[in-house]
Amino acid sequence: MFKCTINGHEVEVPEGASVIEAFKLLKEDIAHYCWHPGLSIAGVCRLCMVQIDDGPRLHIACNTLVKDGMKITNQTEVVKEAVRWGMDFHLINHPLDCPICDQAGECGLQEQYMKYGQYDSSMAEKKVKKRKVVDLGERVVLDSERCILCSRCVRFTDEVTKTNELGIFNRGDHSEIGTFEDQPLDNKYSLNTVDICPVGALTSKDFRFQQRVWYLKDTDSICTGCSTGCSIKVYHNKEGLFRVKPVFNEKVNGHWMCDEGRDLYKHVNAPVRLKQILKSVGNEWFPLGLERALDHLNEAFSKAENISVLITAQHTVEEYKALKNWAQQLQDKTINFVYWKNNPESFDSFDGLLIRGDKNPNTKGLLEAGFEFADASVLDSSDLVLAPMPENPAVYPKYMEKLEQLSKLQTQLCLLSVSNITQHETINFADGTLAIPMKTAFEKAGHFINHQGLTQKIHKGRVIVKAALGLDELLQAIKIGKWIQPQLLKSRKTNESSKVSGELW
Amino acid sequence: MSESQLLTEHYHKDTYKSLKGYQADGGYEVLKKAFKMEPQAIIDEVKASGLRGRGGAGFPTGVKWGFLPRNDETRYLLCNADEGEPGTFKDRMMMERAPHQLIEGMIISAFAINSPKSYIYIRGEYDQCIETVTAAIKEAYDAGLLGENILGSGFKHDMDVYYGAGAYICGDETGMISSLEGLKGQPKLKPPFPAVQGYLKKPTIVNNVETLAAVIPIIDKGAEAYKAIGTEKSSGTKLFSVSGCVEKAGNFEVPLGYPLMDLIELAGGLRPGRKLKAVIPGGSSAPVLTAEECLTAKMDYEDLSAKGSMLGSGAVMVIDDSQNMVDLLGVIMHFYHHESCGQCTPCREGTGWLSKMVHSILEGKGRIADLDLILKVANQMKGKTICALSDAAALPALSFVTKFRDEFEDYIKRGHQYAAEALHV
Repeated sequence: MFKCTINGHEVEVPEGASVIEAFKLLKEDIAHYCWHPGLSIAGVCRLCMVQIDDGPRLHIACNTLVKDGMKITNQTEVVKEAVRWGMDFHLINHPLDCPICDQAGECGLQEQYMKYGQYDSSMAEKKVKKRKVVDLGERVVLDSERCILCSRCVRFTDEVTKTNELGIFNRGDHSEIGTFEDQPLDNKYSLNTVDICPVGALTSKDFRFQQRVWYLKDTDSICTGCSTGCSIKVYHNKEGLFRVKPVFNEKVNGHWMCDEGRDLYKHVNAPVRLKQILKSVGNEWFPLGLERALDHLNEAFSKAENISVLITAQHTVEEYKALKNWAQQLQDKTINFVYWKNNPESFDSFDGLLIRGDKNPNTKGLLEAGFEFADASVLDSSDLVLAPMPENPAVYPKYMEKLEQLSKLQTQLCLLSVSNITQHETINFADGTLAIPMKTAFEKAGHFINHQGLTQKIHKGRVIVKAALGLDELLQAIKIGKWIQPQLLKSRKTNESSKVSGELW
Repeated sequence: MSESQLLTEHYHKDTYKSLKGYQADGGYEVLKKAFKMEPQAIIDEVKASGLRGRGGAGFPTGVKWGFLPRNDETRYLLCNADEGEPGTFKDRMMMERAPHQLIEGMIISAFAINSPKSYIYIRGEYDQCIETVTAAIKEAYDAGLLGENILGSGFKHDMDVYYGAGAYICGDETGMISSLEGLKGQPKLKPPFPAVQGYLKKPTIVNNVETLAAVIPIIDKGAEAYKAIGTEKSSGTKLFSVSGCVEKAGNFEVPLGYPLMDLIELAGGLRPGRKLKAVIPGGSSAPVLTAEECLTAKMDYEDLSAKGSMLGSGAVMVIDDSQNMVDLLGVIMHFYHHESCGQCTPCREGTGWLSKMVHSILEGKGRIADLDLILKVANQMKGKTICALSDAAALPALSFVTKFRDEFEDYIKRGHQYAAEALHV
């Protein structure tokens, strides 16, 4: 460990640490754009200027290693002047389009400008014109005029994904980020470039022009896309969920997450959700009143002798525990648990970075819950199958196929579904099949255990469908014979969609 | 003081560029002498000679060689022949007239630093140089002066020519290394310095053409004899490319410390009836000297540095009273704006900003306040970037505007008139 003094505060840093890392460790303010802890050092923005041991020369903190006893400061007038001008150099050709820029509100330029801006435009000359809406690939759009050429995105595709789609073309103030001919930015991690872009140059096609960021709240969660379990923040407001961004987690995902995971908020939003309890009669879905639904549930579960639970690894540790407890209390019945793996052939695959073939957030959690799993064949002889469905059936096609098979056998199903079940028009569900709205991982608290065995917490964020239940809540209702939160269930809108017929009872 | 010719003595002979002609005038004899020395002794000799890099920065060559790590790692010798500093044309002459001199100097240097491979990075526009040097390397291979076991010494060395595509920035040593590696020609962040981690991440020494050639007289006559020429801290001779408002522009080899006015006389002096206004003594990036400063200026590292300028690459650009300083600064600023690689923000944005401001003045749209802004911008570009291009743009801007402020103010006040005149011409 080396001891150094930063702006008069002493700090101990490991040998080999850079000065900027020491600043970060101390949470001392230092301006920077090109430096990113997950990438190599470029040393091009020239903002992280410091003075060392009162020497006259300015050094960049990112490319200077801390030496024992070093005295570092960025509070002298020389440094402040350099940073002020550094900001000016960044801004002279930057368009003043914050009112229509997606980055506004979380923009590095805005933040540093408030601290180091000269507040008086000295540039009287015309700004450099560059390309505006440049389609870089499937998910990312570039505005070259906003780009400050920090090269973070270029280094990301070079060093992290090693796909090298991006480069800096041309020279001097005509330099531009770009892709090579016929090689769009098309890797599975491309949206990370948008996250690390300190300005509004790279924007996500999915998120641009959707929301002003200051109208969004964020909730810490865990990505449910695969067993890696990346730490994420979900951004939402009363209109729904809008985007997902990775949060630094040294043990799991570092600074990054994959593009697939970014889409996992879409099935949570209201338009695609099941919002009320439905019952299938004569191959049509009918909304069920609360009392009726409870009666029906109690009747179905008390009548059935042979119950199967078709379970996936998409639920929380707490829900599995509730399921186990519930089953233990029903000792007079046969209860079988069938563990449904979606894609056994690619289950153990790994892309070397973050993406795993196991598309469940809690496989370890399910396996460690202590269930004795039965063979899938027991489903066919069951009176009733409780099916807490995977959140996004689109990535679980075989689960839906199994439900279709069971329906053909006229097996009674009790579905717990996130997505609007009425869209599966091809499946003829048996009469009496119930579909109950289910909570997504973003609407409940709990824990997932990732592939490493790391238990990670998810936080309850915004509730999109108030009537939705967690698996544990449904089981509780069945057990005690009444709804846990009937006031919420009542407040749902009754007219779900045109595919639902009028109330039968 | 007369013209002392350590390097250019035989340049007037047409035969000197062939191996035969070069050997007839004593070529490759010093190499034989060098092979009998210990490599470290050669380094020590170069160190003792006080030879400083002739490319522009003037870093002591022997000291640079001494930075190489003492291990068995492969090390490379790169010859910087990307002569890009405006006003400089000495390396071109050296390669066209005496390619074997460069090759001999390089083999001696490579032997000293134990490098098995060297590249000569020639500026792309120098097609004549590329031709002569390539032909000379072939001759050298055929004569056993390159390749395995050179002259029976047991030393193996290969040499290749690589040429740039005309980017000024590739004349920076790390910019050149990037280009040589097949990357975009952009300087690399230091540390690590090339001597520790350069070409292909191996220890690398980059020297200018003239520097490498100067190793020959040092080994031939000894450090003491070399040091006797020039001044105490600037030893040896230097080639100066004198251009601009003189009668006989050209390259002149003189001992360092040579009076600037005498050098102008060597170049035929000013044109009849003209008065000296200013001189840029070391390539376009060197701060300009006023006529008054020129009177006492001596062409060595210390004296020019004391006058706030620098020896640079030795490109002496003479400016007489027929020239307009605003115009000249416009050309220089346009050059640096065009050549900035665009990596570091102060340079990328600053060079463009300076160029635009000077051109506004040229177009008759200047404001007096622009002059102070030029000084502020240029001052903030100095010493803030990875390489020296930003300084190279800032220094002329600072010196032109400070030393010839009256002329700039006059141009701004009568801007429309000047601009209209320029338009009619």
